[in-house]
Parts: sequence; C-alpha cells; structure tokens
Amino acid sequence: MTDYRPQPPFLDELFEADGSPRETAEPLIRQLQQLGQEGLAEAGRRRDAIFMQQGITFETTGTGGYSHERPFPLDLVPRVLSGEEWRAIKRGLAQRIRALNHFVDDVYHGREIVREGLVPWRLVASCSHFARAVHGIRPPGGVYTHVAGCDLVRHSDGTWKVIEDNVRIPSGISYVLENRAAMARLVPDLFASYRVRPVEQYPQLLLRALRSVAPSAESEATVVVWTPGPANPAYFEHAFLARQMGVELVEASDLVVRDDVLYMRTTRGLERAHAVYRRLDDDFVDPLEFRPDSLLGVPGLVRAYRAGSVAIANAFGTGVADDKAIYRFVPDMIRFYLGEEPILENVRTYLLSEPEELEHVLGRLQELVVKPTGESGGRGVMIGPHASEQELERMREVISTHPDRWIAQEVVRLSTVPTVTEEGVLAPRHVDLRPFAVFGERIDIVPGGLTRVALEEGSLIVNSSRGGGSKDTWVLEDGEEGDRGGTGAGWGGGYPISDTQPPALPDLRYGAWTGQQQQQQQSSRDAGARS
Amino acid sequence: MLARIANELYWLGRNLARAEFTARAVEAVFQAELQGTTEGTPGVSFGSGGLLAILGDVGVGEGDSRGRQALDHLALDPQRPGSMLASIERAREGARTVRDVISAEMWEAINTTSLGLRGSGHPGWAAPASTALASQYVKERTALIWGVANRSMLRDEAKSFLDAGGLIEIADMVLRMLRVALPRTVVDGEALDSAPSDGHALILLQAVGGFHAYLRAVTAPPNADPVARFLLFERAYPDSVAACVDSLHEVFMVADAGPRNSKPVLRVSRLAADLDFQRRALPDGAELTGICEQTQQELARIDQDMAERYFAGASSAGERM
Repeated sequence: MTDYRPQPPFLDELFEADGSPRETAEPLIRQLQQLGQEGLAEAGRRRDAIFMQQGITFETTGTGGYSHERPFPLDLVPRVLSGEEWRAIKRGLAQRIRALNHFVDDVYHGREIVREGLVPWRLVASCSHFARAVHGIRPPGGVYTHVAGCDLVRHSDGTWKVIEDNVRIPSGISYVLENRAAMARLVPDLFASYRVRPVEQYPQLLLRALRSVAPSAESEATVVVWTPGPANPAYFEHAFLARQMGVELVEASDLVVRDDVLYMRTTRGLERAHAVYRRLDDDFVDPLEFRPDSLLGVPGLVRAYRAGSVAIANAFGTGVADDKAIYRFVPDMIRFYLGEEPILENVRTYLLSEPEELEHVLGRLQELVVKPTGESGGRGVMIGPHASEQELERMREVISTHPDRWIAQEVVRLSTVPTVTEEGVLAPRHVDLRPFAVFGERIDIVPGGLTRVALEEGSLIVNSSRGGGSKDTWVLEDGEEGDRGGTGAGWGGGYPISDTQPPALPDLRYGAWTGQQQQQQQSSRDAGARS
Repeated sequence: MLARIANELYWLGRNLARAEFTARAVEAVFQAELQGTTEGTPGVSFGSGGLLAILGDVGVGEGDSRGRQALDHLALDPQRPGSMLASIERAREGARTVRDVISAEMWEAINTTSLGLRGSGHPGWAAPASTALASQYVKERTALIWGVANRSMLRDEAKSFLDAGGLIEIADMVLRMLRVALPRTVVDGEALDSAPSDGHALILLQAVGGFHAYLRAVTAPPNADPVARFLLFERAYPDSVAACVDSLHEVFMVADAGPRNSKPVLRVSRLAADLDFQRRALPDGAELTGICEQTQQELARIDQDMAERYFAGASSAGERM
C-alpha cells in the first residue's frame, strides 16, 4: 500500500500524482492498509468460494476446447465517485439517451436529421442493425431505448468522455448488484466511513418501466424476460433479472403468436404476455421478418409488435443508434433534437469512408485506435501505439479496401484505480465505467454502474470476454438532490436505514423466560433424582 | 407458470429423488455385501446386481460388473446415466434453467452438492473419496436441498411440480426394488416357508432408510411379506408407495386449474383408492409382485398424462432417462 505509485500521465482516481491519497479516498486507503495484503488475499479466496457456490461464474474455453467455469473476477478495491461528479455524469447520460431515442424515432419516421444534412442517409441505411421491417412503427410512449448503457472513460485531464453507446441489449447490471452484495459481505470495513448510494433498486425500476409501456387493458401487465437459453454467456444475468423482478424467464419455445397477439405456453394453456424484455439481437427474434434461419425466434412477433399488442424492450431497430459510425453524430443529435449543448464529450472519431479522413488516419495510424463498426465486446480493435509494425501494415491494407467497415479514434488515456494483482499487491490498472439507465415514463440511472478493469499491466482492453475484471462503483451521498430515494422506486427505493430512536415498547417484559427456565431446571433436577 | 419450467421442475424433483434413492441403496448394499451375505438365499434377493437392474444399467460395464466395482460405478461414474453423480449433474443442469423460479438458497445447495461431488470446484472442498462416503454425502445434501426447498419456496405450482417429480420417482424406485427383490418362489406358490426368518428383507428397509419406521409401525419380524406390504401400503410412512400416491394427489390439487375433470388427477385418485382397497382385501402371504407391476404401469400413465396436460406435450419419462 505504502509503495503504491500512480503512473502519470494517467490519472489515478484514488491517489494524487504525488502518491498521496485523494481526499474522498483517504478513509478507504486507511481501511485497506488496516486490512493489509494478507487480509485482502483472504477476502479474495472467500470471494472465489462464494462466487463458485452461487454460480456467479463465466465459462472460459481452455486448451483442447474443454470449457471450464471460473468465478467472476471482482476486484476488492472499490472505485469512489463523489456525489457532484456523479450528478454531472447523470445529467449528461440522460441528455444523451434522450437524443438517441429521438434519433431512432426519426430514422424510422420523418428522417428530419437526414434532410437537414446532419447525418448522411447512406451511413444510416448501411448500419448492420438498421431494420427496414419496423419502419413507421411507434411504440407506446415513443420510447425505444428502454435500457441503455453508455461506456464512459475518464481522460487524464479529468473530463469524462463517452466512448461507446449501447442501446440494444447492454449487459452487466447483474454484476453491479452482485458485486455490491459481495463487497458488503466480504469487506464490510471498507464501507465504514462512507455513505454509499444503493444500487439494488434497479430490477424494480426496470419492472416499472416495462409495465408503464405495456399495452394492457387489465390492471397488471404480464412482463417476461426473453433469453436465448442457458448456453448464452449472459444467461446468469437473464435469470438474475427475471428472479429479481419476479417475472417469467422465457425461451422462444415458450412463446407463440396467434392472431397478432403474443402468448406463452403455461401449465394452464396459453396466457398473454404484454411486455417482453428481450435479450437477443434483432436478427434472431422473428424468422419471418429478420433472419429466416433463426431457431431462437418467434414467428409473427414483429407482426404482433406492429399491431401494438405487445411492447418490446428495447424496441426493434434501435441498433442504428449505437452503431460505431453513427456515434460521431451524437453531439449533433443533442443540439438538433434537444437544442442543448452536450454535457458529456465524445472521443474524436474519424469516419474512414470520408476520403480525406481516411488519408489523415493512414498518416498517423500508429497514434490511433481502429475499431470495426459491426463488432462488439472489444473484438477486432487495434490500438495503434501498442501494435507492431506488421499489424499496422496489415491494418493499413484492410481499411483501405473496406474503409466503410472501420472507424478510427484518438487514444484515450484511461484513468487508473488501484487493483489487486496476482501477486497480491496493489498496482494501477485502467478502468472504464458503464452506467445503466432505464427509460420508462422518465429516465432513471442507477448510481454508479459497472466499472470494468483491465487486469493486465498497461492494457486498455477492459472487456470481460478479453480477460477484464470488474470493480464495485461507489457514488457517495452528499445530501444533495436525488440522494434520498430520489429514484422513487417505491419500496426498496434506496432509503438508507434510518438511525432514529426506536419507539419504546412498554408492554414487552424483557426476561420473561425466567419462569420457564425454572421449570426446566426443576424437571431436570427431578430427572436427575430419579436416575 | 410456463409449461417448460413446470417440466424442468418436475425433472429436477425426479433427479433429486433418484440421487437420494441411489445413495441410500448403494450404502445399504455396500454394508450388506461387506458383511458377506450373498444373493440367492431364500427370501428377498437384493445386491449390487439387483441395484444395477433397478437403475437400468445392466450390461453397460464390461466384464464382471458386480460387487464393489459395480457400486463404485453406480455412485460416481459420470459416464453412466444411472449413477448418483449423473443424477446430481442432471439436477444441477435443470436447476440452472429454473434458477429464476427456485430460491437462491436452493440453487446454491444444489450447485454446491454438484461441485462437492465432482471435487473439481474450489480446491478447499473435499471430494468424497470412496463410494460409501459419497453416498453419505449425497444423502445429507439431498436432505438439505429438500429442507431448503420446503422452507424457502412458495407453496405454489412450482413447488407442486417439484414435489410431484420427487414423489413419482420415489414410488417408482420402491416398486422397481420390490419387483427385483421379492422372492419368485412365492409367485410360483411353491412350498417355501411363507415366513422365512431371513435377514435379507432388512436390506429393503435399509435401502430406503425405513428400518426404524418399520420397527415402530409393524410388530411382525422384517420378513419379505410384511416388509413388502409396509413399503407398498403403509400410508404413515412417507416413502411408501401409498403415501407417495396420496401426496401426489394433494400436490395435483394445488397445481391443477380444474382438478375435477383433469386426467392425471382422476387417475391418481383411482390409484390411491385401489391401493387402499388392496391393503384391506389382500390375504396374508398373497402375491405382491403383480400389484407392483400394475402400480408401476399406472404411474407411467400418470407421467404421460402430466406431460400432455401440464407440460405442453414435452418429453415423457422414456425419452428423458
């Protein structure tokens, strides 16, 4: 702990550049020192045991194609965000998500932003997730992006930047909740000097948002979570959300469309489902409208959706808004649809389909990050400064042949947070942040989000499929707006347990057991006398 | 609830009950064979060969698959679908797909059991080294799992289908055991002493964990006929066929939306009444294997009826096992 050194120019979130703890982090560092290397290692072992037992695992394919389960990698040093910092992020995210939602609506209706000449139609129509099948459909409340997760990074100058938007099926929220629960169980001492804003209200927020958009004349809408099945890597999360919301977790074989109405097969025959939180891509949802070879889909679902008998979250076709090529236009969208200046910045992005930008990028490829537009999960990303001469050369060829399939971005100096290494000591590791927003009647954002951490020294790739880990993210209460159950989730709305004086209970007689004890003693004496 | 989930719960119940039965039976047979009693003596015959026949594993192994080695296979051979380990693994896979329906505690109990039995989980967890220890472990763990289920699950349809699976499996296993073990000489009506003072019937009670209950409920010595009657008809003993069928009826009444004209419910109540009638009407020493066979067939029909009525025609027993 004492020999922890931040690595300038990267900003360290818990330590100043001179190696002294930041003000907000001071009590945490003190507790960590008290816990010591041995204490952390012990807690780590207990964490792995508990995660294995609870099945909080992910499968990795080892040598010989033999898959095996590993406990989810949670780092025990939390990341701390002040209330003020969080409020800025929250406002920025809400703004951004509102603009993205407008954009989806616009793309499938008037296309005003295209007619204004701000976004080229060619780019929209060439997105792999542009869905012609849903043109002209407006879901209840005009909400398309019910669940959104934007990836944020913190630059070395302290500003937050959005690096990617996820408005299709962002995942990771279950780990936010499980991480918090595990932290409270494993290292309760770390919480001692802090008031951390709770996160466990998320499932109720989601359920309320889904109910609010469900087209149901009856009092209670039936909401279901749709999973591709237990083989899906995110199955844990699907089951987790269904359980936490108290709704059915369905697979395609459970669903059937009759006369443009969606039903599920139950032990009592067919029952209607009003809102579907789907966790599979557009491509697979309906073999009649999207990929005809999909075995995971429900034939006729898009027809039911078009007829308005079922709400789908997120709506079909939202993928146009989180395409990597569209990303560049989000600040313009905010100005165009909302008439506001963007609160959160973008990372400078180059569209390689523009000849002059391509030329610029080819000139300084070794300084930039190149990403394929149609991929996710960190696949295919090349980081210029880390790439070999051969890799750069190959990339030059690839992007010159298919410039429309790639974008280039300036390198972001991701901030670092102390992280327990394999040797058991703390070292700086790069992190990003994925907060989760729920859009129903309004936008709610769970305090914090999933902090992903690159476990290898110097690595900038935080995706869990590429060996990344995660951290608990603490947003501190400071008594300002939104702290006290401001999320308004009804029960479980995040009220901390109050410390008020409990009411007196004069009718209780403490120590009322004496009579019985005497009796017992007596009878045991009797028994003793008899024997 | 979803038909698929109901079906998974039903099979979760069956797999858990199967694992528990296997554990008890393996333990009983292991003890008995250790002490040198052999099969083929008059009275009941129940050893590792009989156990293999019950669990449908005959001829899977190569060469002489009797005795200790057979028991090892029955307990911990993942390649054999009839083994205890395979049942637990199937239960775990099933539990994984219904994780949102069963309680978190219950999932953890099942998951830990499977990890512990495989011994490949966390290095700190002991893998039961021998067959006897493994049986003991599974016995304890299944008791824990059912206990957690009873204390933490809502008594709704979900619990009903879980219980239904467990009940049908226990009844089926007891019937299979009786059919294998009951002395054939009685069937032929030959002049064998109708009440041979034979310790072998004890093993049937030990194989289901019912020795103590029998001693308290029945005054006759544990010979083939009274033991078989006890295991078939004694409604006060929870693992008897009659008690299972009774409970099955109760469970269906909870799960079924319209029990009055539901085929599985009607069939179960007929079977319950039939068993009660036979308990009263059958003379001492009457042949019982026929009744076992009929009851077992009736249970198979109930299983089919359930698949049709509740599980949207999902696979029935024959296809799953």
